[in-house]
Amino acid sequence: MATIAGDRQTASRGAIPATRRRSRLMGERLYFQIGLILPSVLVLLLFQVVPIFIGMDASFRRWSLYDPDKTWVGLEHYRYVLSDTNFLFTVLPNTFLLMVASVSLSLALGMAVALLLHRGFAAQRLVQTVVLLPLMIGPVISSTMMRWTFNDQFGVVNAFLGWLGLGQPAWLADRWYAFGVIVFTDVWLWTPWFALLLLAGLKSLPKEPFEAAALDAAGRWRVFTHITVPMLRPVIGVCVVIRAIDCFRTFDQVWLLTGGGPARSTEVFSIYVYMEAFQNLNFARGSAAAVIGTLIIMVAGLALYALINRFMDVSR
Amino acid sequence: MKRKLGGLPLAGSLLLGLAALGATPAQAEGTLKICYMSQPVIDANVAMMEKWANANGVEFEKNPMSYTVYLPKMSQMLSNGGTDCDIFWHNDDWGQLWKQWVEPTSDVAGMDKIRKGPMRAFPNDEGQPTAVPLAHTVGTFFYRTDLVDEKDVPKNWAEIVAVGHKLQEEGKTKWGYVGGMTHQNTWFSIWWSLWTNGCDIFNPKFERDNAVLDKSGWVPTLTEDCHRETIEFWWDNLHKDKISPEAMVSYGRNEANAIFMAGESAFTFADSTFWGEFNNPEKSKIAGKVGMALWPMGPRLNNNVAWDTIWAWGIPKALDPKQKELAKKALGAMLLDHEGQIAQWKGTGGPPPNTDLWPELASQDPVFAKLKEVVFDVKDQVLSAYYFPNWPAVQKAYADISTEALSGKREDIPAVLERGMKTLHDAAVQQIAK
Repeated sequence: MATIAGDRQTASRGAIPATRRRSRLMGERLYFQIGLILPSVLVLLLFQVVPIFIGMDASFRRWSLYDPDKTWVGLEHYRYVLSDTNFLFTVLPNTFLLMVASVSLSLALGMAVALLLHRGFAAQRLVQTVVLLPLMIGPVISSTMMRWTFNDQFGVVNAFLGWLGLGQPAWLADRWYAFGVIVFTDVWLWTPWFALLLLAGLKSLPKEPFEAAALDAAGRWRVFTHITVPMLRPVIGVCVVIRAIDCFRTFDQVWLLTGGGPARSTEVFSIYVYMEAFQNLNFARGSAAAVIGTLIIMVAGLALYALINRFMDVSR
Repeated sequence: MKRKLGGLPLAGSLLLGLAALGATPAQAEGTLKICYMSQPVIDANVAMMEKWANANGVEFEKNPMSYTVYLPKMSQMLSNGGTDCDIFWHNDDWGQLWKQWVEPTSDVAGMDKIRKGPMRAFPNDEGQPTAVPLAHTVGTFFYRTDLVDEKDVPKNWAEIVAVGHKLQEEGKTKWGYVGGMTHQNTWFSIWWSLWTNGCDIFNPKFERDNAVLDKSGWVPTLTEDCHRETIEFWWDNLHKDKISPEAMVSYGRNEANAIFMAGESAFTFADSTFWGEFNNPEKSKIAGKVGMALWPMGPRLNNNVAWDTIWAWGIPKALDPKQKELAKKALGAMLLDHEGQIAQWKGTGGPPPNTDLWPELASQDPVFAKLKEVVFDVKDQVLSAYYFPNWPAVQKAYADISTEALSGKREDIPAVLERGMKTLHDAAVQQIAK
């Protein structure tokens, strides 16, 4: 009786305010969810969004780090950056050249490493760990290491070339040698990242197409070009887009290897911004350059996305 | 209960956020916070102030930071009226950059004992000094005593080439001269030789009064013979006489010092503060075999020149009067700490700022006596930088121009220097602040 009464009570209690209870429950859940994400949102707002807006605001003012008088100067800094021949004819070409060279070489080598690791062999686990080592070393450390590796007096590379009886170039004193060292370092650092993601992609591919190709006696190259690559295109696409955007803002390697030299010849976008903002202490001009760079990479990113989408559509 | 649970994270987040926004570090009375770049000479100087703080019941908080972030970080702190540091490391290059944010220091005990010349980098608009020196940093020509007798030490550019070449031919050393040359290291090759050739970066030469330089329009000397000769001297050293490695255009002082300390060069030029490192047997193969000499002169100048600048400490103007007083007491104690300053010199090679100690040191220590002879006693002292806000931009522009000239063909040097005139002038006159 008590149970029936209780049930009735529950039923009657539940019948009328059910929506209210549900909405209260939803409200509590919403509060809970908001509470959970609020710290992250606050941190993001304070340390990412607000500084971006402060930086954008600074780009329209006269604002040096040592004397921020903040007078409004409109587009003066943008005009300066966009008419700076160094920015237009050295910095931007270097940035895109580094992006193309580093991403394409890392992709090619990463694919080779991934295919090798995918085949499986006795010491595969060990090799896999060794291959991934560069990923575990900070770019600052590896770049410093590379600077000494390519040192003309003490470097391992020149010691080896000397042992072979070959010439010993002044690697960091010549524009294209220095640029080559930057690309080499970047590729060395990022090939494992490509290898790791492509290996994951390879492992997720269905076996049937490969078995069918084997039955048809297709050669390895044909299987690679007609089955593996088309099926991996989504993974390749995402890797290329992420890495290309990331490469646009490369700083550590270039700064530590060449500092943008000799004579600004290897300067890339992020070094230009850094030099203006923190070397010349012209925070406003550095901010203007950063905003211009953001716009450029947005356009480049959208173009890359469009290209990749088209690429994937074709592969479907 | 559920309602409470739902509200908890929200309330917690808000509290956390408010706490983060409102939190300020606790500042105990009698606490001194010191910000600096960790380096043996500076560390030794900090130790003197720490000793004073411990003896006087003052809490002493050390905040070492990286050189690469030091300038922007401190500029940002000072220009925002920040008080994160009660005492901070100050450098002659930045003397004019921070002048309006820094406390005058003429009332610090012991300021009457220091050398006045290097303080020309640190006056505020009222002409008051805004720094307290911690050590002299002087440009020094170093040579290998095991390879070169004192009487054979080069006295001019031609002798550097001749002696260096001879030692290379005899297989005693791989290089004649190695010194830093890239951005922020231009002093250790090009600039010291530029000054010994009676030349400078802007006209009027050796002028450091910004009003005079402003009036003269910051005209570079790049196209003058004295400047071209200096660049050609280094071009020949790198490419023709090969007493220096071609890659030297990319060397900072770390690389140059490493080659000298590995015993592969007969001569180098560096701050005297590296004396200790060059003679440290754990780091250097040439420990105990290093001598100091007068700068070898260029063809256009007969009298010796030298530079004598200082590393110093500053006090933010934004501090409250009590903190300023405490900071000044600590700095005064450092300046008057004879024992500590002698220990600084003996342990690190950082010449003490208190000149009362110099005669005593010179009579007891032949190394100090030599440094005094080749730097402090030289009558014509050069100020090794220009003390105005655009100096970092000028320094970078100059390094790029000289690197380009030294990396190309010899016959292209005049054209590169001619092109550099506008670049260097623009770097000097660009207006980035009122």
